[in-house]
Amino acid sequence: METNHMGSTAGKPISIERVMKIYQSRSGPAVEALRQFDLEIAAGEFVVVVGPSGCGKSTLLYMLAGFSKPTQGSLRVAGDPVTGPDIDRGMVFQSYALFPWLSVIGNVEFGLERKGVPRAERRPLAMKYLKMVDLQDFADKHVSELSGGMKQRTAIARAFATEPSIIFMDEPFGALDALTRRFLQQELLRIWKQHQKTIVFITHSVPEAIFLADRIVVMTARPGRIKREIRVDLPHPREITSDAFRDLERRIYSELDEELSKTINQEGRPAAV
Amino acid sequence: MRRLSAVAGRALPFLYAAIFIVAVWQLVVTINKPHPSLLPPPWAVAKGFYGLALSGELFLHAGVSLGRVGFAWLLSATIAIPLGLAMGRSRRLERVVDPVIELFRPISPLAWIPLAILWFGIGESGKIFIVFIGTFFPTLLSTVAGVKSIDPVIIHAGQVLGCNDPASMFRRVVFPAALPSIVVGLRIAFGTGWAAIIAAELVAARSGLGYLIANGMEILRADQVLVGMIVIGVLGVCFDAFFRFLNRQFSWEA
Repeated sequence: METNHMGSTAGKPISIERVMKIYQSRSGPAVEALRQFDLEIAAGEFVVVVGPSGCGKSTLLYMLAGFSKPTQGSLRVAGDPVTGPDIDRGMVFQSYALFPWLSVIGNVEFGLERKGVPRAERRPLAMKYLKMVDLQDFADKHVSELSGGMKQRTAIARAFATEPSIIFMDEPFGALDALTRRFLQQELLRIWKQHQKTIVFITHSVPEAIFLADRIVVMTARPGRIKREIRVDLPHPREITSDAFRDLERRIYSELDEELSKTINQEGRPAAV
Repeated sequence: MRRLSAVAGRALPFLYAAIFIVAVWQLVVTINKPHPSLLPPPWAVAKGFYGLALSGELFLHAGVSLGRVGFAWLLSATIAIPLGLAMGRSRRLERVVDPVIELFRPISPLAWIPLAILWFGIGESGKIFIVFIGTFFPTLLSTVAGVKSIDPVIIHAGQVLGCNDPASMFRRVVFPAALPSIVVGLRIAFGTGWAAIIAAELVAARSGLGYLIANGMEILRADQVLVGMIVIGVLGVCFDAFFRFLNRQFSWEA
């Protein structure tokens, strides 16, 4: 297996075949969240999924992480079917999901301990990842003492520290202010290039998708399918004000507007759901 | 220094309350002149306190009561906390156990005293049993509530960080996440246990603060009754303060 200079393993490919997900609610009709979803993600690729709310992007990510199972179809990572959550597939959540009973470095060490890294090696290793997100001076702080941006940087350090081959990111910067968000996007790109992980990233923000992605997957309204796949070939760092960026933005917005109008029409119709 | 003055700040209202109660008490005695065996003046109770403290009797009884509560409280915690953790995570288990608990919960631990005497006589086990009943439910219910209020993303974070088996999930994620709520339950439980042991000792005991009070009544020594009551109150406040302190140590916000 390839290793990069940080000594971690490189990303793995993901294969999603004809995946369908139906939620059976206790009262009312079943909800079809995803339909006929096919997607191949290459090892080390940065894929960003955008779509209207409720289109099943989070459902997709939760199935990839192994929290829930598809109703039909198969999900494979490097050829192996996904059977449940695994430390080899990390995740960064919108609400950070840090463990408030642990210090900043304690959060980063958590996965290392679970992975069986000897006690003496945990702290220096965790420190290395805190340095990566520039939080080395906050190692022994309490989680509640951090700002939102610092919390998410801790969560990113925690996710990368276990050296997973894939990292899922569920609207990770959605709760942050615009400036922090911009800063963390640049940080994430830098870290991703260094570590060559496969990243599946979910967002509502079209500029964010264009700024980060190798490939953007635009989803339809529910039931979620792939509406369009767009390869972003612009060189990094991508200039938000450039014409190419703007053109792409316009294209994706028009795709999304179509889907949004569908959802709104659906909601407008009585007894449609 | 600041810490000390903060403690003083919290203790001061209690001092005012004590002064007020003693003043009213003295006033009632001065105006009504009740027989000392019914309501002795404050100084007589203070003298009684001094006598009981000097003979060591007071510490003996207080220690016995505390020992019973402490033992039963720990015993109930060792059962209620694991059960509560499991019930909070498993809806099926909760559905089975919950009706049983709901049926038993409204029955005051005091209502169990007659049965406890029938089953265990007036030995230690009967009193442990009563306190156990009184401490079990608050601990259990707080633990269940604590587990259920855990944000699901915290559980998911634990899963992707390698807690794949239930044992590590409980130990590394569920228990610490629910701990603040568990400590609240333990505090409430200690309070109900403290109330229950006094009642149990009033009825069937040869030692303990409850016995001290009951004995005072029998020998027409209202001062002894009042000394017992005051010690119960003061110890109760002290332990509650201690648990509130623990609460603050174990309350984490994300």
